[in-house]
Amino acid sequence: MLNTKITDLFGLKYPIFQGGMAWVATAELAAAVSNAGGLGIIGAGNAPASFVREQIQKARRLTDKPFGVNVMLMSPFVDEVMEIVLEERVSMITTGAGNPGKYISRLKERNIKVVPVVPSVALAKRMESIGADAVIAEGTESGGHIGELTTMALVPQVVDAVSIPVIAAGGIGDGRGVAAAFCLGASGVQLGTRFVCSTECTANEKYKQYIVNAKDRDAVVTGRATGHPVRSLKNHLTREFEKAEQNGASKEELEKLGEGKLRDAVVYGDVLNGSVMAGQISGLISDIKPAKEIIEELFDDAKKIIKNLYGGFE
Amino acid sequence: MEFEKIRDIIVEQLGVDPEEVTMESSFIDDLGADSLDIVELIMALEEEFDVEIPDEDAEKIKTVGDVVEYLKNLEK
Repeated sequence: MLNTKITDLFGLKYPIFQGGMAWVATAELAAAVSNAGGLGIIGAGNAPASFVREQIQKARRLTDKPFGVNVMLMSPFVDEVMEIVLEERVSMITTGAGNPGKYISRLKERNIKVVPVVPSVALAKRMESIGADAVIAEGTESGGHIGELTTMALVPQVVDAVSIPVIAAGGIGDGRGVAAAFCLGASGVQLGTRFVCSTECTANEKYKQYIVNAKDRDAVVTGRATGHPVRSLKNHLTREFEKAEQNGASKEELEKLGEGKLRDAVVYGDVLNGSVMAGQISGLISDIKPAKEIIEELFDDAKKIIKNLYGGFE
Repeated sequence: MEFEKIRDIIVEQLGVDPEEVTMESSFIDDLGADSLDIVELIMALEEEFDVEIPDEDAEKIKTVGDVVEYLKNLEK
């Protein structure tokens, strides 16, 4: 068994979270991950509160294990989504794209654990000081909205700066990545892209296949000029974005260009003109299989690697 | 709460020239800060002046003048 602060804190068999990806991380995926002994997380993204409530209730029917909700703090519905999370008393939330400080006291009152995604040491310290239960240190290798630091550089710096448990995210796709995260001082890992390519993930098959087919350099960053860079797989949309940025398009024009595009890709399978958000590890992922198999393989391999490493160093 | 002391912290945190920092300068639009820089700045101010700036208040701080004003009110 692999017990860490994260398995203890969240009552898990394996110290692994499934990233709460907008549109992708539905009740089906979250429940599959939780049933397999990890922590499944529903992605609220920009969805309205009613959708989030439906997803929570559906996940409850599919699993009796704990699961979470990722609350995207830039969502126009963020206040309503927080109300739903409080009413439904989910066991934990992760937060992205900002600082959840103003919600934290009410969440703690209801015993809902709060785990913010952080891209910097300062935000990690700030989150610890306001009562976060753990932080997810997410490197720029990730898909979707990203920070600047790599996982390799960010995780050990965050680990040294806080005393709450740290979960490493960004660029992890197999047992080697999991082992590396523990070497950097993390107590758990969060994987997104790997779980998109799981059988239970309800994303369009074309979206999954586009990740399976991706090569190492296909996950590119657009939108740096907007201040909210996004990593997604190269296609017509990313090229259009690049052109617009080169031609000095305004923030508003760029935001307009990206609107609704993630949904086009995830739900409708438009992998050419939609936004196929995925991480740099896409090139490593070559198959679609059940979440349980993914998780068991990750930790079987990680354990072997760590064991052999110690032997090798003696 | 003297302006110079606050200015020095801003200069150090954001790597800008002291002349750029006026009461009117906006952290994001004029001093090139992003939201993460502002988190660092707020924490540096908390440490220097031994105060607590809750996130609800920190959110409202947009300009150098806002900081000066905020810290002045805390002193009262």
